[in-house]
Amino acid sequence: MQTNELISLMSASHRPVDTGWLRRATWLGALCALAATAGLVLLTLGARHDFGRAWLTTPVLAKMLLGASVAGIALPLFQRSLRPGLKPARRLPLVALPILLAAGWALLTLAQVPAEQWSTLIFGRYWRACLIAVPLYALCPLIVLLLLARRGASVDGPLTGACAGLASAGLATVAYALHCPDDAAPFLAIWYTIAIASMTALGALIFPRFLRW
Amino acid sequence: MSLEEFETQLRPVFLAALAGDAAAYRRFLDAIGGRLRGYLRQMLARAGRHEPSEAEDVLQEVLLALHLSRHTYDPASPVTAWAHAIARYKLVDHLRRSGRHAGNLPLDDEAFQLADRPEAPSTEARLDLDRAMASLPERTRGLIDRVRLQGASVAEAADAAGMTENAAKVAIHRGLQAMAKFLSRRGERPT
Repeated sequence: MQTNELISLMSASHRPVDTGWLRRATWLGALCALAATAGLVLLTLGARHDFGRAWLTTPVLAKMLLGASVAGIALPLFQRSLRPGLKPARRLPLVALPILLAAGWALLTLAQVPAEQWSTLIFGRYWRACLIAVPLYALCPLIVLLLLARRGASVDGPLTGACAGLASAGLATVAYALHCPDDAAPFLAIWYTIAIASMTALGALIFPRFLRW
Repeated sequence: MSLEEFETQLRPVFLAALAGDAAAYRRFLDAIGGRLRGYLRQMLARAGRHEPSEAEDVLQEVLLALHLSRHTYDPASPVTAWAHAIARYKLVDHLRRSGRHAGNLPLDDEAFQLADRPEAPSTEARLDLDRAMASLPERTRGLIDRVRLQGASVAEAADAAGMTENAAKVAIHRGLQAMAKFLSRRGERPT
């Protein structure tokens, strides 16, 4: 087939194109994945016992805010990474902002108490649960984002994967905040950050395999 | 024509095409195709490959990729950057598949800027797309042949095949998707 013929064929079968679909699908997909993940947390672990009293307290809101801001920064970058020619990598360091804020808050908290209490504040009661649960629940939004990414045209698989990992860990953090009974700032800053980082690495590692086009 | 001038001319044409103007889409493909041909020839020559037919093959793959990724274009961004990123991705993929280390290729924007004269298609492609066509179902192939060889409109081709115009467009679209998939798997050793 000659190039001319190919061009005729493509323009003859051309139809109007919706360039906003990817953006809308990303937000809608993320919202649905968040709802599903929250449902999963409530179904498998249940809300924390004092949720009625605790949900408006600073620690719970801080957890949700951390997760929501990480996801809120990563999702537009994820969506942009599916569009060739844009360079979303430059804005990726923004994600560090909410995490640095959490770290600052944690250091401030630690500075105000004697050193003997540090390990209680850092490890809480269930640090292992947090470390396992957040990445596990994050698989749900991660799969949604992977399916979505295959509809785009990523020219940088690791970047798309890292953004998807960040976003899914952020969403899982919001969902897991419904259950997580540990409220100390150092706990939040350490274990959630590790969970988010590990999902970022996982995304960057596995996405390129599925995104070749 | 500088890249900026080219962008200024091309962008409104592509935006009209996205809104559904098939004639504008054809103008866009012709213009970007000429420019990409020059780019691909230069880049392949740098990799030590001077066969124009190879460049034509990669060009067809790139055009197919542009077509199937139209929905990934951000209307606020330069259309040349979008097309260039896709061409570059497909070129690296092509070199990797055909056994050449792409890592030491100077894949910079320079060649894209340099290729300021659209080059004429002096040769035919090396049949890669025909091989991809051969893998399509009979009915789709008939439809495609009627449009590309006899210059029929999709409506006429659909009529002859006894289907609606919409169904024919969907069938052709699926055919193009299958061809793109076929091309991107070409050269991979079955394991």
